[in-house]
Amino acid sequence: MVGEIAQLVVNGLVAGTVLAVPAIGFTAIYAVLRFPNFTVASHATIGAFAGYVVNTAFGWSAGVSVLVAFLVAGAAGVVNDHVVLRPLRPAGALTTAIGAVALTIVLENIVRFIFGNDLRGYALPLQRDWQWGPLRIGPQQVENLVIAVIAMTAVFLFLASTRTGKAMRAVADDPTLANLKGIDPERVARLTNFGAMGLAGIGGMLLGLDTSIDPLTGFRVILSVFAAAVVGGLGSIPGAVVGALTIGVAEELSLLSLAPAYRSAVGFVAILLVLTLRPRGLLGERAY
Amino acid sequence: MNRQTTISRRTVLTASAAVVAAGLVPPRAWAQTAPIKLGTLTPLTGAGGSYGPSMRKAMEFVAQEVNGAGGVLGRQIQLVSEDDQTSPEAAVRAARKLIDVDRVVAIMGTWASAVTTAVAPLCWESKTFLTTVSGSDTITQLPHQGYLIRTQPNTNLQIGKLGEFLISLKVKRVFVLAAQTPFALPSQKRLTELLPKGGGEVVGAVIYDKDKTTFRSEIDQALRAKPDMIYLNGYTPDSTVLMKELYKASYTGAKVAQGYAVNQKLLDSMPAEVSDGTYTASPSPAVESAGYKRLAKFLGASDLDPYSCQCHDHISLVALAIARAKGEANGTTVRDTVRKISQGPGTKVDSAVEGLKLLAQGKEVNFEGASGPCDFTEIGDILDCQIRFEQAKGGKFTFVKMI
Repeated sequence: MVGEIAQLVVNGLVAGTVLAVPAIGFTAIYAVLRFPNFTVASHATIGAFAGYVVNTAFGWSAGVSVLVAFLVAGAAGVVNDHVVLRPLRPAGALTTAIGAVALTIVLENIVRFIFGNDLRGYALPLQRDWQWGPLRIGPQQVENLVIAVIAMTAVFLFLASTRTGKAMRAVADDPTLANLKGIDPERVARLTNFGAMGLAGIGGMLLGLDTSIDPLTGFRVILSVFAAAVVGGLGSIPGAVVGALTIGVAEELSLLSLAPAYRSAVGFVAILLVLTLRPRGLLGERAY
Repeated sequence: MNRQTTISRRTVLTASAAVVAAGLVPPRAWAQTAPIKLGTLTPLTGAGGSYGPSMRKAMEFVAQEVNGAGGVLGRQIQLVSEDDQTSPEAAVRAARKLIDVDRVVAIMGTWASAVTTAVAPLCWESKTFLTTVSGSDTITQLPHQGYLIRTQPNTNLQIGKLGEFLISLKVKRVFVLAAQTPFALPSQKRLTELLPKGGGEVVGAVIYDKDKTTFRSEIDQALRAKPDMIYLNGYTPDSTVLMKELYKASYTGAKVAQGYAVNQKLLDSMPAEVSDGTYTASPSPAVESAGYKRLAKFLGASDLDPYSCQCHDHISLVALAIARAKGEANGTTVRDTVRKISQGPGTKVDSAVEGLKLLAQGKEVNFEGASGPCDFTEIGDILDCQIRFEQAKGGKFTFVKMI
C-alpha cells in the first residue's frame, strides 16, 4: 500500500510538473491581459508539431526541438493575438474568452489540415523504466521533469531580475500606474503572449514526448491546465506551479478510491472546491 | 408606430404563408425527378478520424457509380456529408441538420458506439433510416422500430470469437484495459464468462478515461495482477500510449487488441519492438468479393479497413431498398424493404448498379457486399461475420487465423 501511494505520488509529481509549464503561460496571460486565453490548447499543439518537424525531419535532439517548439508557438501566439484577440479586448473579457475558444478550434483545424489526423511519435528511442524497489520511473519522465524545471526557473529569473520582467509584473499589478510610469502596455502584451504561448508549446511537446501527438494534443489537457491555474490562483505564476502539482497528484491519488474513468472529474471538483472555499486560489492572485 | 407593427405582422404572415406553400407544393410535384438525398455521418475528425474520410469516399464511389448508370428509379443520388467528430454532441448537431434541413432518407456510417447511441433516437423519431458500423450490443437493443441496421458484428459475436481465440492460445490470466465506452463493460462480462471454459480467467479490469495523456497508474494496477495476456479494448490514441507504457514497464506477457485500434498507422508510429507480438482481432471484409476489389481499386489501396467496406454496403443497401420499394423514397420504405434485397432467395449481386438493373427487370436480388453477406436479424444485427486474427511482427501484420 505504501509502495502504491509512493508510486502514485511520483507519477502525479511528474505529470504535475509537465502540466505546470502551460499553466504558467495561461496564468501569465490572465495576469497581464485579464482574460482566460484558451488558445493555450492550440498553441500547445502547434509547439508539439513544430518540435516534431525538426525532430523527425532534421534529427534534432529533444532538448533543441523543445526550444523550436517554444519559438514557433510563441511567434504564432503573438501573431494570433495581434490579428484576432487584440481587436476583441475592448469588448470585455468574456467576449475575448469566447473569441479565444473559437480561435483555438480554427488553429487546431489548421494543424489538422497540414498534418492530418494521424498520430505521430517523436523519433526518440523508447527506454525501459528504472525500477527502485516498488517505485518505477522512466528516463523520459526524468528528462521531461528537467526540461520543465529549467523552463520554469528561466521564467522566474526573467520576472525577478530583468527590466522587462519587472515591467510585466508592474502591468499585472496595476496597468494604469504602469502606463503612467511610461511602460508601453502593447509591448508588454506582445512579450507576455510570446512567452506564455512559447511555454504552452513546450508543454505540448513534453506531453507528446512521453506519448504521441495529434491535433487534439493541446485540447485534451486544457481542462487540467485551467484547473491548475484556478486552484493556484488565476494570475499567480507560483500559484500555477502549486496548482499544477496539486492537480497532478490529486488525479493520481484519486485512483486509490475511484475508478480511473472518473479521473477527469478531479479537475472539476478541484475548481468547485477552490471557488467555493477560497475563490482567490491557494496563493491569491498576486502575479509573482 | 402601432400602424407600422400591424403592417409588418401582416407582411410576415403573408410571407410565411407563401414560404410554407412554396415548401409544401413543389416537392410533391417534383418527387419523381428530384435527387434522393442521403446523409453520411462519419468521423472525419476525433479518435475515429483515420477512418471517416475513407468511409465517406467509399459511399461517394457507390453514389457515382449509381448516378452514372442512371440513378435509382431515374433519380440521382445526392450525398450530404457531415463530420460527427467522434463526439456524441457534435454528431447530434450534424444529424439534426441532416434530418431537419436536408431531409435525408437515411444517415449512414456512424462509427463510435456513443455517437450511434446519441443519433439513433433522432432517426427513429423522424423516421430516418440509420446504418452504422458500431459494435456495442446496446445499440440494436434500443427501441428503434426497425429504423436501424448495422454491418459490424455486435460485442457478443466479436468477444465470443475473441474468447475462442484466447482459449486456443492457452492463456491463463487475462487483464482487461478498456476505454470508457458503451462496449467496455459488456465485453468484459462476456470474456469473464467465456474464459473459464478453457481453463483461463479474467484476473482484473480497469476502465480508463481515454482523454488522459498518461496511464502509468493504470498500467501499475494491471501489472500487479500478474497477467500473461492484456486485452487492450480502446481506440488508437490511448492504445498507442498504453502499448508504449507497457513496454517501458518491461511487461513481457502477450497483448491482444481490436484491429480498429491497433492498426498499421499505430504500428508506424512506434518502434517495432513495442508492438511486436501484439494480436489483433478485426471483423474481416469479404476480401475475395468483386465488390471489395472494385472498391480497393477506386480507393487506390490493396488493404481496406472493414468500415469503408461496410459503408460501401450501407449506401448500396439503401439504394437497392428504395428501388425495390418503387414508391416514395423515405426512411420507412427503406426500413420495410431492406431485408427483401439483403437476404432471401434472390439473385446474388455484389454491386448496387447490378442489383438496380435486375430490380428494374422485376427480378429479386440478394445483396452480398464488400464487407460480407449483409444478412440482418429482426433487430438489425448481422447474422454472422468472420473475424480475422493477426499478429504484429517487425512493424507489419502477419495473418494468424480466421475464426
